[in-house]
Amino acid sequence: MRRPEPRPIAIVAALAMGLAALPGPGAGSAAAQDTVAARGRAVFEARCASCHTLAPGDEGLPGPSLAGLIGRRVAGDPGFDYSPALHAAAARGLVWDAAMLDRFLADPEAMFPGLWMGENGVRDAADRAAVVRFLADASRR
Amino acid sequence: MTSARRRSLLRLAVTAGLATPALLRGRPAASAAGNAPAPSGFRVTYFAARPGSGSRDVACSPTDATVWYCGQRDGTLTRFDPRDGSLHPVPLGPGAAPHGVVFGPDGALWVTEGGQNAIARVDPRDFRVQLWRLPEARANANLNTGAFDREGFLWFTGQNGIYGRFDPRTERMAVWDAPRGRGPYGITVTPEGSVWFVSLAGSYLARIEDRETGRVRIVEPPTPRQGARRVWSDSQGRLWISEWNSGNVSMHDPRDGSWKVWRLPGERPRCYAVYVDEQDMVWLTDFAANAILRFDPRSETFLAFPSDRPGANVRHLGGRRGEIWGGESGNNRLVRIETPA
Repeated sequence: MRRPEPRPIAIVAALAMGLAALPGPGAGSAAAQDTVAARGRAVFEARCASCHTLAPGDEGLPGPSLAGLIGRRVAGDPGFDYSPALHAAAARGLVWDAAMLDRFLADPEAMFPGLWMGENGVRDAADRAAVVRFLADASRR
Repeated sequence: MTSARRRSLLRLAVTAGLATPALLRGRPAASAAGNAPAPSGFRVTYFAARPGSGSRDVACSPTDATVWYCGQRDGTLTRFDPRDGSLHPVPLGPGAAPHGVVFGPDGALWVTEGGQNAIARVDPRDFRVQLWRLPEARANANLNTGAFDREGFLWFTGQNGIYGRFDPRTERMAVWDAPRGRGPYGITVTPEGSVWFVSLAGSYLARIEDRETGRVRIVEPPTPRQGARRVWSDSQGRLWISEWNSGNVSMHDPRDGSWKVWRLPGERPRCYAVYVDEQDMVWLTDFAANAILRFDPRSETFLAFPSDRPGANVRHLGGRRGEIWGGESGNNRLVRIETPA
């Protein structure tokens, strides 16, 4: 599957939502970056990885691949059948950026009522920011 | 929808050797106020759950009319009384996100409480809540579903890759790593007492063969990567499995090791819940069709009960004689289907 290029809008949105407070590429100590990366990976492993992979393509998991998520349109895994709620969002032209992903993870059902994903949100803001950063970094790889 | 995975019913039926059941849609029955049109002989009634609750897994009281549901979004186990529509929420604690609930042999409700990574017990008489947390080494198990065996042990699954056993008498808990890691989801106990669970990410059925060591034996369903989500036993000990990825319902008979598979109706079904009633009718939910389905194993036909609102997302079914219950998690409602005598 072709991976979308990172979009400037994601970086702008990340700054707007306060992600600049987190050490990012080129800023802060390497140790601090490692801490955030580890936290983001841990949140991903605890909350996301049972249904989603970061590898492109179908691995037989119940949710879509999150490869290249940032910059990808909503419901953008061509190998996955999404819920009507996410198809409707895609029809509105919504594209994942860091800010939208943060709002989504805070309360997925509130953003897209009726979506099939059955998880509560990630309530802790720092956990959320870390996993958003983790997914953004994964999108750049 | 466009999808590389989408396959036509005909093609799948041919390549996988599936049975090709018919879809029946009965004539609407006369509907009373508060009831929805339903196939003839059935009555469907929707009840309001707590707003924002995310009403999902249900447990029907064996002693009275009440039904309890997990409010995954509002952190409660809530008692609903269909006689007057009353709701009594029981908060389970800070950060609670209950997923599954069953009645235990002690008459209490036992909850797989994912938010606090604990097994919770709720006394229906005084609403007292007790928690038994998983060992620290098993943090974030993503607790899913539980079932009691005939000896009174609670068996449970955690979607992040564990299954376990809790003894309410000694309060001792054992937790084991699941084969293939992530995925353990539905769990059931057959009439003869064997414990089985399925793995959604691992796409298998497993029997717990040694209840002390937790040793399991995997039984591979015939459809690869089928996404076995929930499992329920019928009166003969046959295992009925709802397959999320494939959109099939499958049946394994442990007596002879056989399998049968049926594709749900529609272009791209998504089979989530399964429950077998006292007549051995198989009840399913299909997210793509936004419907509850009844599958008759004898005639191999489906009967559809579409919700009257979009996005119902019924993630679990339960019941008692003459009644099927589910939680419309997407609409914060409960749904009851009364079946013909």
